[in-house]
Amino acid sequence: MLTPVELDALRLSLQVAVVAVAASLPFAVAVAWLLARRDFAGKTLVDAIVHLPLVLPPVVIGFFLLILLGTKGPIGGWLYETFGLRLIFTRWGAAVAAAVMSFPLMVRSIRLALEAVDRGLEFAARTLGASRLDVFFSVTLPLMLPGVLTGSIVAFASSLGDFGATITFVGNVAGETQTLSLAIYSLAQTPDGEAAALRLVLISLVLALSALFVSEMLARRVRRMLGRA
Amino acid sequence: MVFRLLVAAGLAAALTLAVPAPSRAQEITVFAAASLQNALEEIGAAYRQRTGHGAIFSFAASSALARQIEQGAPAAIFASADEQWMDYLQQRNLIVDATRKPLLGNSLVLVVPAGNTAQIELKPGFDFARVLGADGRWVTGDPSNVPVGRYAEEALKNLGTWDFAQTRLVRAENVRVALAFVERGEAAAGIVYSTDAALSQKVRVAGVFPATSHKPVTYPVALVARHDTPAAREFLAFLESDESKAIFRKFGFVVH
Amino acid sequence: MSESAAERLRIDAAKQLGAFEFACDLDLPLSGLTAIFGVSGAGKSTLINLVAGMHQPDRGRIAIGSTVFFDSSARVLLPVERRGLGYVFQDARLFPHLSVRGNLDYGRRRAGARSGGAPVAFDAVVDLLGLGALLERRPHTLSGGEKQRVAFGRALLAQPRLLLMDEPLASLDAARKAEILPYIERLRDEFAIPILYVSHSPDEVLRLATALVLVDAGRVVTAGPISDVLLDESARQFFSAAEPGALVFAVVASHDDRYQLSTLACDGFALRVPRVDLAPGTQVRLRIPAREVALALVRPGDVSITNRIEGSIESVGSRSAGHPAHALVTVRVSPSTVLVVTITRESVDRLGLVPGLRVWCLVKSVVLDASALVLARGRAARPVSQPLPANDARV
Repeated sequence: MLTPVELDALRLSLQVAVVAVAASLPFAVAVAWLLARRDFAGKTLVDAIVHLPLVLPPVVIGFFLLILLGTKGPIGGWLYETFGLRLIFTRWGAAVAAAVMSFPLMVRSIRLALEAVDRGLEFAARTLGASRLDVFFSVTLPLMLPGVLTGSIVAFASSLGDFGATITFVGNVAGETQTLSLAIYSLAQTPDGEAAALRLVLISLVLALSALFVSEMLARRVRRMLGRA
Repeated sequence: MVFRLLVAAGLAAALTLAVPAPSRAQEITVFAAASLQNALEEIGAAYRQRTGHGAIFSFAASSALARQIEQGAPAAIFASADEQWMDYLQQRNLIVDATRKPLLGNSLVLVVPAGNTAQIELKPGFDFARVLGADGRWVTGDPSNVPVGRYAEEALKNLGTWDFAQTRLVRAENVRVALAFVERGEAAAGIVYSTDAALSQKVRVAGVFPATSHKPVTYPVALVARHDTPAAREFLAFLESDESKAIFRKFGFVVH
Repeated sequence: MSESAAERLRIDAAKQLGAFEFACDLDLPLSGLTAIFGVSGAGKSTLINLVAGMHQPDRGRIAIGSTVFFDSSARVLLPVERRGLGYVFQDARLFPHLSVRGNLDYGRRRAGARSGGAPVAFDAVVDLLGLGALLERRPHTLSGGEKQRVAFGRALLAQPRLLLMDEPLASLDAARKAEILPYIERLRDEFAIPILYVSHSPDEVLRLATALVLVDAGRVVTAGPISDVLLDESARQFFSAAEPGALVFAVVASHDDRYQLSTLACDGFALRVPRVDLAPGTQVRLRIPAREVALALVRPGDVSITNRIEGSIESVGSRSAGHPAHALVTVRVSPSTVLVVTITRESVDRLGLVPGLRVWCLVKSVVLDASALVLARGRAARPVSQPLPANDARV
């Protein structure tokens, strides 16, 4: 079946992708809300920055992360000194790289869902005694759910496949950062590594397709619950 | 107004690109191991000054380059950092066997970030763990395919610390990327060629691997079969000239 | 709820909405159902939304009793969720992700203890609005009428001190409207919660309102108990578009057990109607639609029509009669009551009807049933002091 190296890569990919999505979800919701509901000076700039990972070469993003979050970087250094937390060469750093790369996709999906929520319903909730925060969690968020789900799963699939940012920021460390993409890359360079590389390619394909399938099913179920199927 | 300026600038750029560069037909493409970058660029400049013709270089791990040539990349000359990748192409009849020559040699060193004053004798059973610290990692080219990584693995195996070292290894695409990690201080140590270490102010050589601990580092060079042209042969000859040898020596390579 | 115990709604505020300028000066006791009436675009929704807190005035003050919602000079702004309101929207606005029960509970769970009156109980509301069978359903499976009933229930269960309703029946067809109107009447009568009811339908207003605020072109034209406002000349024009008819104020005088009839004492005359379950002395109002009244030159003898009221013709016209064949005749039957009659122009000419002519108005008892009859709160129109004239409508 699969060699230990391949299983490692698979397990690691899944773990990194799950952490990436889970950690960036609250930020994505917050940013989507900010862009959808608020007007402020510099809003276009924020929008542009959020979308940078879509436009810039992934290696550039990886490089930025290296400068900022490496143990000698301004933020990474502080994290290392204060908490002993190292991101570079670790799966957590890989999760950060994957999260940054898939962030714009998540935000777009969530923002669309948010903009589709009827503001009239939110006002109705307020007349019934709910504060703004209460309205968000009890009305807005449940109604955004299909979009949040889709965005999360697309981000998950995207995280599974990240390469450029990951290898530039956290390097290729077997068992720590060698996700499926990096493993395929290494194997493709190794003489006689092609068969293994192809196996991993197939696994990646299956994973990505499954994720998209699950996302569609879930979104459909939720939409039906909301009476919008 | 701004829009018009942008359109004008765009048109100007496009026109510049359309102007044919001087004697393109004479320019050859050279695929070379990453560690040869600085030396070869200087040699390329000297060649242009001397003949008016240029060379286009592509520097990467020898493994990546060999596979690209195998896929049909338009390289005329291949300079590898180990014999195995040249063998790889020779077995597939992709080089002009007669032109294969061992051009250079190099030595393998252990480097640390500049601030670290450690000095260690690289003998069997040396304490790698002490160099790295509790959670430090070391970096070199991916031992599964990059020459410098292969030499490193061989050396560490012979010195008896590979089992431990493997658990702390970061695999880089090529020796220059490995060097960069050490320069940044992110990696506690790295194994690179002495020529690479010499180029950087931000790393220090903490120890030199004894020549007995690994196969000699050899840089074979050859003509790629599909692009055997007079221009290519001319450049190959220049690589073996005294002028080039002087430049190689300047950068610390051993010249055969 | 008596007037003295009622909190007063005081609005003295102005707001600019694009080209539309709204300025309101209102001081009204909140009890029963106060209708906010006017044509589309008059500013009715603006008024109610200022009270609700959807928009804030540009300047001014809004307060209910001692609770200040907004005060521009004192910089007070009470957030929507703390105003103790219940709001029924024209489009129900039920939460699609919750069941009916979940919707009903939404306000209830956030209500805390509201001031004034006993808490509104879940079961009481479910019974009142007939929601029992719907509790586990999802909003998107409900009909329009069902959705509105749930909306009423949800607003009620939020334990509000004031219920706001913005044209809640406007998006329903006639059958659904007829189905829901009784629920609103029960809401008004069985819960001691004042209602602010926005409508552009004169029929709704006449049936439901105990007080009336007339809005036109962003200003309050007049406000007060409905009986007073309707007698106000400036108000009449707003009700002219409705089906023509008279609004008559009366007091329940007596009941006839044998024939199951009740006698209503009006100002200067009496009416006999199918028995109403009200104690003598209860103040009521009746709508007498113009098309239900016939005219005779002499007092008819052998005819089945019970109510024969004498009066004198005030005007004869065909302008707002409806059909080209019709004519509208107004007949003054008492110092404070004018009946409106729709008959054919042919009859007008045949009988030679002209202003000043004495005629008899004939109104079938059967017509004056419960749908024509509504309860009035607030002050009665005129005290019934004169003796009843001879009109054959008394026992």
